[in-house]
Amino acid sequence: VVRWQLSPPQRPLQASAVLRRVSDEHKKEPLASSSQQQFDSHPADHQPGQEPQGPDPSYTGQGSQESEDYESEEQLQHRILTAALEFVPEHGWTAEAIAEGAKALGLSAAAAGMFQSDGSQLILHFLSQCNTKLSELLEQEQKLVQQGEAEKKPIDQFLRDAVEARLRMVIPYLERWPQALSILLMPHNIPSSLSLLSSMIDDILHYAGDQSTDINWYTRRAVLTGIYNTTELVMMQDSSPDFEDTWRFLENRIADAMKMGDTANQVQSTGEAIVQGLMGAAVTIKNLTGLNQRR
Amino acid sequence: QTHFGFQTVTEEERREKINQVFESVAKKYDVMNDSMTLGIHRLWKDVLVRKMNPSPGTQLLDVAGGTGDIAFRFINYVRSVRERQLQRRLKHHQNLSWQEIAQSYQEDKSPLGGSQVVVCDINKEMLKVGKEKAQDLGYSEGLSWVLGNAEELPFDDDKFDVYTIAFGIRNVTRIDLALQEAYRVLKPGGRFLCLEFSQVSNPLLSRLYDLYSFQVIPVLGEVIAGDWKSYQYLVESIRRFPPQEELKAMIEDAGFFKVDYQNLNSGIVAIHSGFKL
Repeated sequence: VVRWQLSPPQRPLQASAVLRRVSDEHKKEPLASSSQQQFDSHPADHQPGQEPQGPDPSYTGQGSQESEDYESEEQLQHRILTAALEFVPEHGWTAEAIAEGAKALGLSAAAAGMFQSDGSQLILHFLSQCNTKLSELLEQEQKLVQQGEAEKKPIDQFLRDAVEARLRMVIPYLERWPQALSILLMPHNIPSSLSLLSSMIDDILHYAGDQSTDINWYTRRAVLTGIYNTTELVMMQDSSPDFEDTWRFLENRIADAMKMGDTANQVQSTGEAIVQGLMGAAVTIKNLTGLNQRR
Repeated sequence: QTHFGFQTVTEEERREKINQVFESVAKKYDVMNDSMTLGIHRLWKDVLVRKMNPSPGTQLLDVAGGTGDIAFRFINYVRSVRERQLQRRLKHHQNLSWQEIAQSYQEDKSPLGGSQVVVCDINKEMLKVGKEKAQDLGYSEGLSWVLGNAEELPFDDDKFDVYTIAFGIRNVTRIDLALQEAYRVLKPGGRFLCLEFSQVSNPLLSRLYDLYSFQVIPVLGEVIAGDWKSYQYLVESIRRFPPQEELKAMIEDAGFFKVDYQNLNSGIVAIHSGFKL
């Protein structure tokens, strides 16, 4: 509380000069002129533009005022990264692209100093954006199926479409994608990139209707991850029109995976049959040689 | 009432005393820096500029930049980035049409890409030494020298991309005013960087550091610069300066966001960074 009282009255007006723009874009309310009003309307400005924060900020005062600004910091960072994506084809996944993104938003290029200098945050931001888009797409499809407006796809078709949709999002940045993949493989990035990858695969299988609770849960995800990664690699050196070769590769891999499932069952039942046959043969031989007789 | 080293003085007295300190050390400032820190101050300043990672076109304000160390490093850094940029552009110029070649003549090929650094200092002697150094080393483009007070900068609002103050904020009497001025002159998205002596956390290192500071440095000052008292003031002012967390809070109070600090040499020196968002 002391901090807020000591700061000059202009602070609420100036302080969030850029952050204010976030809420301005959400609603065009005229800003209060006096600083006192600023204090009260500041929380109100931010409220509708963001997710509900619980108790009314004017009561919780400093704490939530800070958390609102903190949230706006993150939002601003997201906005800068989103704007920076436009400059990736030209500058690559680098701090330069982020600087250009900041300049596009009207900020100084020095704002790129907020992010790591190797551009990894830009790539991770892009990945999570793609995953979100994919989830929304799959959810919409599911809704259509539930409302009866679309046919439920067979599982191999579903998986194929989902992976294709997700890979297509990378196409605009394809030239620089190998750079992105190599940055993601760096040790300090592996935890985040791995978790994004696994949550994406989980999403796809969830919407595909996978309800397994045994070892299949793991094997399915492992198989799909392998299919996704290999298809991604194929796509990067694919020069066929509209990446036909890639989608054919994907189709074949998924067909293989499906067959593998059937084959596993067949192998098991064949195995059982063979074992029974051998047992029978053993008993017959024992009978023939008279070992089975109890004397 | 404020402090001058371990003494208590009025604000006016403090300003006057600090003015005298720097007037007397100006000529031997760089030599003393090298001998006191065994040359490590060069590395600290390198880290600061690398952290800044300026791109061509950046406008830098270096406050209390007296002898120009940060300004020269900034110019070198931007020059090399710019060279790489121009080389990359050349690589794309393989199969050009005549029109594209004509266009490339009109492109901006300046070696600094529009970057500018303004060195502002309150002390005339320090600026004089800085200007002479610049002439000796051959720095002229993109460099300007302004006499000004960090508590009341002679610049308009929203002018600079980066504001640095290296080993200067300790000598400012009203640090809060200096931080507010820094906030004022920075563009939205601009960065505040402060390189300053700070508190050492490691107790063993702290003891050695205290020993070195109070026993060796003033002696060096007397031997090399003939000025014991100025260097006594220097080490005392380091002890009186707020520690890392407190300075971070002050920077946040001035309105900066994403304020963070990086300790160099376990806290002997710290770089504080904040953004005007």
